[in-house]
Amino acid sequence: MIELTDVSRTVSSGAGTLTILHSLTLSIPRGRTVALTGPSGSGKSTLLGLIAGLDAPTTGRIVLDGVDVTALGEEALARLRGAKVGIVFQFFHLLPALTAYENVLVPMEIAGVSDAPARARRLLDDVGLGARGHHYPSQLSGGEQQRVAIARALANDPPILLADEPTGNLDTTTGQQIIDLLVTVNRSRGCTLLLVTHDPDLAALADEVLVLRDGRLVDRRVPAPPVPTAS
Amino acid sequence: MSFVLRMAWREIRMAWARLAFFFLSVAIGVAAVVALRSLAQDVRLTLTSEARSLVGADLVIQSSRPLPPDTEATVNRLLAQYGAQGTTAVVDTQTMAEPEAGKGNGAVKMIELRGVESAFPYYGAIELDGGVPYSHELLAHHGVIVQPELLVALGLETGDTIRLAGQPFTVRGVLVRDRVQRGGGIAFGPRAYVDLADLKATSLLGFGSRASYQTLVRVGDPAATTKLTDALHDALPRETASVRSWQTLEDRIGRNLRLAENYLSLVGFAVVVLGGIGVWSVTRVIVQQKLRSVAILKCLGATSGRVLATYVLQIAVLAAGGSVLGIALAAAALAAVPQNLLDALGVASVSVTASAAIQGVAVGVLVSLLFALVPLLDVRRVKPLLLLRADTVASARRRTWQSAVIAAVIGLALLAVAVWQADSLRAGLYVSIGLAIVSAVLFVGSDLLVRATRGLARSRRFVLRHAVVSLARPGNQTRVVVMSVGLGCFFVIGVRAVQTTLLASLATDVGTRAPDLVVIDIQPDQAAPIGPIVAPYLRSQARVVPLMRARVTGVAGANLHLATSDDVREDGHLAREFGLTFRAGLEANERVTAGAFWTAPLATPTLPDGVDTEVSVEQETFDRAHLALGDLVRFDVAGQSIRARVTSVRSVEWDDPASGGFVFVLRPGPAVDRLAHTFVAFLQTKDNGDARGALQRDVVRAMPNVSIIDVRDVVSSIREVVDNVTTGVTIVGAVTLVGGILILVGAVAMTRFQRMRDAAIYRTLGAGTRAMTGMLAIEYGLLGLLAGALGTAGAAVLSWALARGLFDIPWQPVPGLFAAAVLGAAVLVAVVGLAASGDVLLQKPLATLRGE
Repeated sequence: MIELTDVSRTVSSGAGTLTILHSLTLSIPRGRTVALTGPSGSGKSTLLGLIAGLDAPTTGRIVLDGVDVTALGEEALARLRGAKVGIVFQFFHLLPALTAYENVLVPMEIAGVSDAPARARRLLDDVGLGARGHHYPSQLSGGEQQRVAIARALANDPPILLADEPTGNLDTTTGQQIIDLLVTVNRSRGCTLLLVTHDPDLAALADEVLVLRDGRLVDRRVPAPPVPTAS
Repeated sequence: MSFVLRMAWREIRMAWARLAFFFLSVAIGVAAVVALRSLAQDVRLTLTSEARSLVGADLVIQSSRPLPPDTEATVNRLLAQYGAQGTTAVVDTQTMAEPEAGKGNGAVKMIELRGVESAFPYYGAIELDGGVPYSHELLAHHGVIVQPELLVALGLETGDTIRLAGQPFTVRGVLVRDRVQRGGGIAFGPRAYVDLADLKATSLLGFGSRASYQTLVRVGDPAATTKLTDALHDALPRETASVRSWQTLEDRIGRNLRLAENYLSLVGFAVVVLGGIGVWSVTRVIVQQKLRSVAILKCLGATSGRVLATYVLQIAVLAAGGSVLGIALAAAALAAVPQNLLDALGVASVSVTASAAIQGVAVGVLVSLLFALVPLLDVRRVKPLLLLRADTVASARRRTWQSAVIAAVIGLALLAVAVWQADSLRAGLYVSIGLAIVSAVLFVGSDLLVRATRGLARSRRFVLRHAVVSLARPGNQTRVVVMSVGLGCFFVIGVRAVQTTLLASLATDVGTRAPDLVVIDIQPDQAAPIGPIVAPYLRSQARVVPLMRARVTGVAGANLHLATSDDVREDGHLAREFGLTFRAGLEANERVTAGAFWTAPLATPTLPDGVDTEVSVEQETFDRAHLALGDLVRFDVAGQSIRARVTSVRSVEWDDPASGGFVFVLRPGPAVDRLAHTFVAFLQTKDNGDARGALQRDVVRAMPNVSIIDVRDVVSSIREVVDNVTTGVTIVGAVTLVGGILILVGAVAMTRFQRMRDAAIYRTLGAGTRAMTGMLAIEYGLLGLLAGALGTAGAAVLSWALARGLFDIPWQPVPGLFAAAVLGAAVLVAVVGLAASGDVLLQKPLATLRGE
């Protein structure tokens, strides 16, 4: 469950203050897949960052799975992310000094999970990279890196999964594989999935699509089911 | 904790090659600390363990003339009371040695002559050449044992005869190792041993001659030695005799060498701090490169504390590893210490000591952590949001009041390490403040360079324009390079400049106006005859001056009242032994500043008020001791007492080598004439070695009791000492410079990624290898030029301050050295910078751009 009440974000710039997200109230029930779309600069990534506790809103309150994140300090936010939020980035952001297996292991080590090695191997198997665990990120393709990132995001079985343009840096075929993987994960684990995307195919898979423009929520709709392609 | 450990290991595993420079920075600093401290400790341990051999007895009573009968009776009573097992007499003096007529090369040489009895020495051994065992029999019937350099100087061999004070002595052995120390003072030549009875039979121990009379006492029991030493201390008048035991010598050696050890460690500490700057520079770049990884870890739930702990642990592990490498380097350096240096230090071998190794590791890890902490603390401010927004990186480098507090705490901690190493708050403070000032000057200088070269950024020349822009690029290493190379330059050039000034001053002193031979111990009846003997060899008339060795034993004055010699000693200002003279007029380098100098000898037995004579006091001593005109000063001259009224104050130009100077000058008169005195002759020979040799031979033959000091020999010995010290400090400076160059290489390596990206873009835009090389050469050349200029300017100031403040000699600018240093630094930095940037120049642009 993600609840936003009167959340806004302004930043200071040379010319004065700039509102990058206008007051927004929103509720996303547990288990839903929501796509956040809109043109560049519309505030999508800002909203994602606020929900992940990576940034603090100027006004309003954000509650994740019953926890008011706006009341937490940096350290508590880090612990909250470790326990309740998995994040997948457009540029993967794997730790370059660690192997794929170790990248998946890290969140569990931070959280002190006892069967972390076995879980990490299982997660890599789940994303189809069981045999590539000993490779470093630089030795993996973009799609493989993103799959490792998804496995890592799922490491602590978080109730909320956030993805920032997860296919934005991948070719169409690889992007499709990542889309399939995310959908499978969402359905099998029942977690709340919030996707920032420009990709209409990815947005079409969501239960709901939120459209942002100039920092305002301008549309909220249920997407049309995808048109089957002729094979 | 296990997460922190694992992450630290994973990070080190990947960045091993890049961290090698970090490793070396620590290793060089630690090697300096460990090697210097081990050397000092080894010397201290050897010498203190041999203290009894150095004294040759349990205790020694020493005086400048034979003990008066009543004092001797007191000594004998105390020796019996405290169970002394035996005594033996030793007399040290100086004389001239020459080969028997027709033998050797005809040279004459001043020697340190020691007369001993059969029981000498109680402890320690005298080792002779060829394994010949030492026995007193070798000295019997005019035998002599000499140091090998005397035989070389005179062109003689064992079995030949040398003449000492006109008497023949047969060389029966050559000294290889002789640890029994002199009573004090400077050694004027090689040592020779004769039988004391034979020495007493010469004319060398006449009244007023320079000799040291020692009674060596064997006690056996250390507790009894201490008690007897104390009892003798209390019983013997200080102006008559001094007492020292092997225990007091052990304490003194221990104290002096511990001091040396601590000062050497401070030099090591300075090198460690330089390594610390390298550590800081590497850590800063590592943190910059790790910002994204830190943000990822924070995204994955790691708290700032855990991330910080991961990096602190990495630094600690690397610092410990670097320190261990430093110990290995120190061991290799100590193994390479040449044998003649070890002999000079009095030790057989040196190796790394456990305590030096432990201290080295502790200092290495502590300093690394302290220097790394400043950039590492930035990790706390890294926002995970930067994974979504790159502009968040900038906020990580904002300075807050907390960083100022932390920097201050780290500064204090570094000061504490310096104080710990020096074992002295003052020395630690001086070194820390000195380093801070030099670093601050270099830091400000590098900023000024960036500003000063800003104008060049508008140059029409593409290469120059972009080289200058690189100096101010974000994440530039300008300050680090200028500081490290500048400090190295400062040390090396500073030491060289001081050496040049010292040696130039020595050369001036033996120049046209200064005497090159000094004849001492001339008896009053020889003062007149010596003139005609030396005259044919001189280019100016000989100055023959009366000389008395005296101590102040009391002062009755307006500001100062010192009733006894104990009071004088406690007051301190007049406690040393003074050379006194008497004459009726002023010298050319003297000027009366208060009172009136007499114009003629005193004709009456005393002054009208009954005081023996008048005395004129040198200005500085007069002021320091708080004397006043009209004060009454009592002197002890070889056991005779004389009272003199202060009637004038003189300023003396001590630098004037022709006239020399005396602190106290007495008015001649009947009372003064009665005092035991000898004469000293200052001679300027014609400018050739033959004249000096012939003069010495003639004088020694006519007056066997006198000694001749060859000022040129003394100067060349001093020159040798200066050279040795310079070599030692230059090595430290060179280590510093190597450290600076390593830091430079590291700094280049650290900016490699940024540079490769820039180079790829420049190449894509059409810049060729020549242009790229030119840009790098100009950039590094400018950096080296500034580092060299700042370091050299600092070195010039240092050499000036030392020359004027410490040595009190005229400063000698060395423009050639300074110019070479500045240019050398520019070329060196440019070459090293280019060499370290090879891959930047060779990398294909597409590979780099794809890598993005």
